Amino acid sequence: MFNKDNRAEKFKDAETIIGGSIKVKGNFHGQGNIVIEGRLEGSLKTNASLFVGEQAKIVANIEAQDAIINGEVYGEIKIKKYLSLGSTAKIFGDIQYAEISVEHGATINGQLTVKAEVEDNKRKEKAIIEEEVEELPGEEGAA
Amino acid sequence: MNVYIYDDFLNKSKYNRAINRLEIKLTDLGLNGKIVRLGAIKNIHDAVESEIKNGAKTIVAVGNNETVFKTAAAVIEHQALSFIPQKTLFFVIPIGREDNSIANALGIKKEEDACNTLLARRIKKVDIGVAGRNYFIEKAEMEAEGAILEIDGYTVEIEEKGIISIINLAEKSNIIGDKKPKPNDGRLDIHIKTRSRNESFFSVKSFKIISKGQDLLLDSSVEIKTPVELGVIPGGLEIIVGKDRAFE
Repeated sequence: MFNKDNRAEKFKDAETIIGGSIKVKGNFHGQGNIVIEGRLEGSLKTNASLFVGEQAKIVANIEAQDAIINGEVYGEIKIKKYLSLGSTAKIFGDIQYAEISVEHGATINGQLTVKAEVEDNKRKEKAIIEEEVEELPGEEGAA
Repeated sequence: MNVYIYDDFLNKSKYNRAINRLEIKLTDLGLNGKIVRLGAIKNIHDAVESEIKNGAKTIVAVGNNETVFKTAAAVIEHQALSFIPQKTLFFVIPIGREDNSIANALGIKKEEDACNTLLARRIKKVDIGVAGRNYFIEKAEMEAEGAILEIDGYTVEIEEKGIISIINLAEKSNIIGDKKPKPNDGRLDIHIKTRSRNESFFSVKSFKIISKGQDLLLDSSVEIKTPVELGVIPGGLEIIVGKDRAFE
């Protein structure tokens, strides 16, 4: 997961950078981090992180692990972990995510759905905490 | 046996001193071999093929980027067309101050230092770029405006003036930000820089360039027509390299 502070670090080694004067059409499937400052039409899929710049325009369904979106997206967005929508983000489509942050000014025209994975993770975390509490030595002895 | 391919521009008197220094150093180090002067022959491919058949173990291009371009192409072509390819090493001795970016990227310095590098025999397999029926070691470049790149399942359209560089090996260690070219990863790095200073980067195994008639310049030496398909021969050439090369 990333935040604004480590964003630059994370995208410095981006596998693909689509600059401002570039238009990509078709099914773009990558393995690494992707930065989009230009236009993309079709579909976009990566197993890593996605950064969408302020001037970017995407007409595509998006799938990624994490994403920071500051531009326009027309299509369905599925983010496995963390999605950050900046104040300039304009989303026209349904969004699926595990965790989300939305800055003041972002526009969303679509349905927001928390993916079941989060619930699973929370259940797992709760189970681990309960196990740890049970295993804590000395509590009973001290009493 | 080492075979030294001297480019024809070395016949100019201003290179006499450099060539003399080189030949003295090679003799001192016991590296002397056969010299083939390109000015005296018509076909470099035939010359290189004949030298390899006669037992040349190392082909040394003496000159600049263009010398490397044509000599390396001859070695690669021989390897590709031979039923039983012989293992031939490749080396570059840069002469002159300009147009030696390939040698620089390989960590090979001028004349005498280059001889020490040849003696050290530090060998690396280096990818070779392919553009149609041509080869390149360093990069291919063309004007960007109106060009379309057809990559695996998608197209990239460039709408502004600028330069497309298809990089296999690069002298400078950065393309964009911290990206280091890796001439041994089986991929080509496409770097698009447009007039408005927008930069784009793609790393691909193969693709096709379609353009509005622009030519593609290979290794700053030869222009070819587009459309053309580009790809890479992974580890296509075994090159003797220097310590200060621009890649791992």
